[in-house]
Amino acid sequence: MELGAIIMMIIIGGGVFGGFIYCLQLAIRKERAKKEMD
Amino acid sequence: MEAKREVFSSRWGLILAALGMAIGCGNIWRFPRIVAQNGGGAFLIPWLLFIFLWAIPLLLIEFSMGKATRYGTVGAFNKLMGKKYSWMGAWVGFCTMAITFYYSVVTGWCIKYFLAGIVDGGVGTRSTAYWDSFTHSYQPILFHFIAMALGSYIIYRGVVRGIEAANKLLLPSLVVLLVISAIRSVTLPGAWEGVNFLFHPDWKLLLNYRVWLEALSQSAWSTGAGWGLLLTYAVYTKKREDIVLNSHITVLGDYSGALIAGLAIIPVAFSFLTREEAFEVMASGNTGLAFIWLPKLFTKMPAGSLFMSLFFLALLFAAISSIIAQIELVTHIFMDFGIARHRAIVIVGSIGFLLGIPSALSINFFNNQDWVWGLALMINGLFFAAVPIKYGVSRFRKELVNTEGSDITVGRWFDYVVKYFIPLECVVIIIWWFSQAITGNPTTWWKPFEVNSVGTCLLQWGIILAIFLIFNRWIASAIVKKDEKEAKE
Repeated sequence: MELGAIIMMIIIGGGVFGGFIYCLQLAIRKERAKKEMD
Repeated sequence: MEAKREVFSSRWGLILAALGMAIGCGNIWRFPRIVAQNGGGAFLIPWLLFIFLWAIPLLLIEFSMGKATRYGTVGAFNKLMGKKYSWMGAWVGFCTMAITFYYSVVTGWCIKYFLAGIVDGGVGTRSTAYWDSFTHSYQPILFHFIAMALGSYIIYRGVVRGIEAANKLLLPSLVVLLVISAIRSVTLPGAWEGVNFLFHPDWKLLLNYRVWLEALSQSAWSTGAGWGLLLTYAVYTKKREDIVLNSHITVLGDYSGALIAGLAIIPVAFSFLTREEAFEVMASGNTGLAFIWLPKLFTKMPAGSLFMSLFFLALLFAAISSIIAQIELVTHIFMDFGIARHRAIVIVGSIGFLLGIPSALSINFFNNQDWVWGLALMINGLFFAAVPIKYGVSRFRKELVNTEGSDITVGRWFDYVVKYFIPLECVVIIIWWFSQAITGNPTTWWKPFEVNSVGTCLLQWGIILAIFLIFNRWIASAIVKKDEKEAKE
């Protein structure tokens, strides 16, 4: 694989999958915090 | 009134339903084709930008409208824009309903091909003849009926036992199937040339306006933004449900699904075909790629019919999880007019089956409807942007988006995107697709009975728009009557 493609894969893949997983984790943390407060 | 409405049992139920709504055929059969036709890696950059310039802002608007008003599309526009604008909500609802008619046919095709992969090993070896004989028979009507009946049955069971339970099964299964397909695909000999193509950035292509417009079209058609589907699901959320983070999860989940689908399909083509042949396959249209070329390519790999069945099962799951959102949207509009839920579902299911039959019988009719109502979604985007603009974009953001219970808040960028970018994007994309139709059919572009003409769009849009404008007062009063009835109860 070319270097440019590898960099793009990291940026695009990391941005999309990473962003998705980050948002999910944030939602999990917030839900847990809400439950503890309740 | 609030106590009577069923709500999603948990945030995860809502998120799975929203992801199911967003991840559909557009991710699996359209994204790989469009990314391949538009230079691979270079296409991914504008596609990524349109997360913030189209998909997320529109989903935020939809989510906020549904949660704030607790009405479907017609009622939500009625309450936030004013009675005079109820026709806008009716238009949005009709667009999605018109798409449901033929989307159910596609779901039926997936059922047929999934079964064919299991029982008939010859699908791949004579794929063109198989597709032609299938689509020229009456079988698509039967499978369209099964798809519509299945979708209606899930909705009939209710929000928690139907929509939520179905998506809890469909979504994880879809992810597993797509990941298995992607792993199989990238481990084929020569497959990494396809992966390389998918991510290789040809920077010159970023100067090509076509790449940007295709990226915007893909973002619009794939994420479900502007369809009114998330608006409908938002009606069933809890009072303190988050809007902003859930919308981000929906869009990023949809994009993740598209990337996995790209990894599952593009390397297969590059593995078994020359580079030129692979491009030819990717240019063969949605149905050509999914139902003719992929079955052919699957026969070339070990355990090909197993992987073909898994692929069509994934496509089927993606289609079902989307079609239930579409049926729910139309059902909810009927409910807002005072029709009981179960009766509304029977009406919607019956109408959907009957009006889907022409698409099941004729590929030309199917393509015509896909062209007319797919493009009409851009008008929906414009209508949704009009809501915060009329309400006051900053006020809309502060009062309806960043509400109590929000895990993250959306900033001022939302105001600029909604006020300037989305209306501009809608106008530019409609002009561009029309100009494509004119240059592609210089002598017939104006004819109203051609498959992909400007004339057919204007005729069908004009008829529907005229009907809703004429009956706007009646539409608005039906919503008011329902309000009065509920107030008495």
